[in-house]
Amino acid sequence: MELIKKFKHLFSNISLLGWLIGTLAAVVIEYYWGYDYISYYLGLPKIPVLFGTLIMLKNPIMIPSALAYDIIVYLIPILLTAGVSCNFANFLAGLFEKLPLGLSVLIHLIFFYAILHLWAGINDYRILIIKLTLISIILTVSVNVINGYQGEFSCSHPGFMALGAYTSSIITLVLFVNDKIFGTPLLPESIGPWLFPFALLGGGIAAAIGSLLVAIPSFRTRGDYLAIISLAFMFIIKSAVENLHIIGGARGMGGHPDYAPLPIIFAWTMLCIWVVHNFVTSIFGKALNTVRDDEAASEAMTIKTRKTKVTAFMFGAFWAGIAGGLFAHVLAYINPSMFSINRLAEILAMVYFGGLNSIVGSIVGAVSINVLGEALRPLELFKWIIIPLILIFVMIFRPYGLISFKEIDAKRLLRAKNKNNQGIKDKRGV
Amino acid sequence: MRKIVLLTIVAVTSAVIFSPLAFSARKTIIKIGINAPLTGDIPKVGECTKYAAMLWLEDIKRAGGLKVGNKNYEVELVIEDNESKAESAVKANTKMITQDDVLAIIGPQASKQAVPAGGVANKYKTVMISPWSTNPDTTLDRPFVFRGCFLDPFQGQVMANFITDEFGFTTAAVLYDVASDYPRGLAQVFKKIWEKKHGPDSIVAYESFTTKDTDFSSQLTKIVRSGAQVLFTPQYYNEVPLIVKQAKELGWKAPIAGSDSWGSPETVKLCGKDCYGLYFSSHYAAAGAKGATKTFIDRYKKAYDYIPDDVAALTWDALHLVQQAIQDTGKITGRIGKDRIAVRDALAQIKNFSGITGKMTFTQEGDPIKCAVIVKIDNKGEYGFYKSICP
Repeated sequence: MELIKKFKHLFSNISLLGWLIGTLAAVVIEYYWGYDYISYYLGLPKIPVLFGTLIMLKNPIMIPSALAYDIIVYLIPILLTAGVSCNFANFLAGLFEKLPLGLSVLIHLIFFYAILHLWAGINDYRILIIKLTLISIILTVSVNVINGYQGEFSCSHPGFMALGAYTSSIITLVLFVNDKIFGTPLLPESIGPWLFPFALLGGGIAAAIGSLLVAIPSFRTRGDYLAIISLAFMFIIKSAVENLHIIGGARGMGGHPDYAPLPIIFAWTMLCIWVVHNFVTSIFGKALNTVRDDEAASEAMTIKTRKTKVTAFMFGAFWAGIAGGLFAHVLAYINPSMFSINRLAEILAMVYFGGLNSIVGSIVGAVSINVLGEALRPLELFKWIIIPLILIFVMIFRPYGLISFKEIDAKRLLRAKNKNNQGIKDKRGV
Repeated sequence: MRKIVLLTIVAVTSAVIFSPLAFSARKTIIKIGINAPLTGDIPKVGECTKYAAMLWLEDIKRAGGLKVGNKNYEVELVIEDNESKAESAVKANTKMITQDDVLAIIGPQASKQAVPAGGVANKYKTVMISPWSTNPDTTLDRPFVFRGCFLDPFQGQVMANFITDEFGFTTAAVLYDVASDYPRGLAQVFKKIWEKKHGPDSIVAYESFTTKDTDFSSQLTKIVRSGAQVLFTPQYYNEVPLIVKQAKELGWKAPIAGSDSWGSPETVKLCGKDCYGLYFSSHYAAAGAKGATKTFIDRYKKAYDYIPDDVAALTWDALHLVQQAIQDTGKITGRIGKDRIAVRDALAQIKNFSGITGKMTFTQEGDPIKCAVIVKIDNKGEYGFYKSICP
C-alpha cells in the first residue's frame, strides 16, 4: 500500500500532456525498434499486436517474452519519459491553459491522434480494431442519450444503424461506384471522398426520420411499452430489408469504396462526443434529465416533455445512423442479419457496462468490450463465458455501470499540474 | 525510488532470461489460416472444419513437414473463430494476414462471412479458399479468392433434372427461408428451371418462412392441399427435421428433396425414421464411399466418433488444393508477399485435381467445375450414394 502511495505521489504532477509525450516515446520506440530488435531478441515472431494478450493465451510459453516486451516497450518508456519531461510538459500545458479551451482540446486531440496513428500503423489488424472500436463509441454514446439521459429502454438501435448503413451505402454506390446492383456511377469517382460526409449525414437523417415512427406512437407511454415497440421496429427494418431485393435482400450489399480511413472515423467520433456532450450539458439536456426523473413535475416546470423526448430520441437515432454508415464503409459489405438481436445485445452490453448517463462511461464501455472481445479471441467458446461473467459482476457491484453520472471536464483534465504544493493544500482543506 | 527501479530491472531481466525463446532466430514456417464459425449459429460447421484441418496437419507432421522444392518446411495452422459474424470474419482474416503472416486461408464457410472476408483476402493479395460458400459474390472479380464447391444455379438445375428424370413428376412445391440468403437463392433457381421444363404453373406452391420459425403447419397445409408431387426444401439441418415431421403429420406422402445443406449428420439424428428414403444433392456421399474418400471417412470417424459431413470433406479438399499449390510453386522465398502471389498463380493452374469430393478444375472466376452427387438417406439413416450428375 505504501509503495502504491509513493508511486502515485511520484507521478501526481504529470499533466495529461506529459502522459501523451510518454506514450509518444513508447510508440516511437515500438515503431523503430519493435520488430527488428526488441521482439526479435525476445523470441517473439512479430510485434505483439494487442499488448501480447493474443500470443499469451494461444501459447503460454510466450508469456514471459510478451510481458517483457510490454515492460520494455510500453511501461518503462512511458513512465520514464513522462517523469523526465514533467516540467516541460507542465510548462506547455500552462501555455495551453491561456489559449481558448476549444483550441487547447484540439491540440491535445491532434497529438493523441498522431500517437494512435503511429501505434496502429504497425499493423492493419490494429487499424481495423481501432476503427470498429471508434464506431462502437459513437453507437454507445448515442444509445446513452436515449437509455441513459432520457431513461427509456429503447431496443431499436440496430434498426437505426441499419437505416443509416443502407441509406449511406445506397448514396455512395449510386453516385460514385460502378457496382452490380446500381450500375454505372452518376458522378465522377474522384469526388466521392469529399461528398462522403453528406452520404453519412443522409444516413443519419434517414435514421432520425425512422425514429419518429417509434417515437410518435410510443411516447404517450413509458417503460416497457417503448421497449417492445422499439424491438418491433428493429425487426420491421430487418424484415423489410430482407425482402427488398433491389438492395440485395438477405444476400446483402457489397462493393463499398474505401471512404472510411482511420482519420475520418476518428474525426467523426470526436465530433460525436463533442456534440453529444454539448447536447446533454445544455439546458435541453438538463430538461431531459428532469423528464426522466419526474415527468409530471417537469411538465409543471413548463418543460415541453413530449418535444424534449422526441428530439432526444431523434438525436440518438441520428448518431446511430452515422455509425451505421461508417460501419458499412469499413466492412465494405452489409446484410440485414448484421443488424439484429445480436447487435442489440452488444450495444446494450457496452452501455450498461460502461455506465449510464456518462459519456466517459460510454467510451470506457465501448473500448473495454471491444478490446476484451479481441484480446480473448484465442479462448473461443470460453470468451463467451468470461465476458458475460464480467458483465454480471459489474451489474452486481456497480448497478449503474463502471463510470456513471459523470461528465467530461476538459479544463480539469488538461490543466498543468506543477502546482504541487497547492494540490496538497487542497487536500488538507478537505 | 531506487527500489522501484531495481525491481523493474530485476523483473525485466528475469523475464528475458526465463523466456525459453529468447534470442532464438526466426524460422520460415508455412502457416495456413482457418477461418471457421467455432461459436455462433452453426458451431457444428466450425467443428467439422477444425477437425478436418487437424487431420490434415497430422498427415503433414507425420511426413516431417511440407516438402517444397528440396526443402521440408514446418507447417502451422492458425485457427480463428469468426463467431458466425461478418465483422468478426473480417477481423479474423485481417489478423491472420497481417499479424500471423499466413500463406493461405481456408474459410469462412458460410457466404455471409465469406463475401466480406474475401474482400479482405483479395485486398492483401492472399489466397483464400472458401470450401462451402455458394454466393457468386464471394469470388466475383477477386483473383485471390477461390471456392471448393459448386454454385447454387448448378445445384438447383441438378435437383430439378434429377426429380424429373427419376420420378417423372411435373408439379412441385417449394418451402424455403425467405430471410436467409442461401435457401432463397436456391429456391429461386429451382423454380426457374422447373418452370422452364414443365410450364409456367408447374410450381403449385411456393411457400416461405423466416429464420428461427419452428411451426410450418400453415405453409405445409397449403402445400399438401396444392397436390404437388414433390416438395423441395433447401433448408439447414435444424429446420429439415421439423419440416419433414410436420409434413408427415399433415398427411404428406410424396418424396421430399433437399440440397447440400441437409448434409450434416445432425439431420438424421434429429429427424430419425421420418427422413429415411429422402433425396438431396450434395458434394459427396459417405456411405459406400471408396478409395481416398473412404480412408478419410474412416480416419475421421475413428478420431472424432462421427461420420464427417460435406463441410469436412470440402475443407479437406481445399487444404489439399492449397498444399498442392504450395508444392507447385517449387520454392518458398520467405518473403510472404511474393510467396502468396506464387501460390495464387499455382492454384489457378491446377487442372483435374482429384479430391475426395470429385475432380475439379477452376474457372477464371475461381469457381470449380465438378460433379454433384445425389444422396439417398437409406434405411439405416446413412447417406448413401445414389447417382452422380456432372455439368
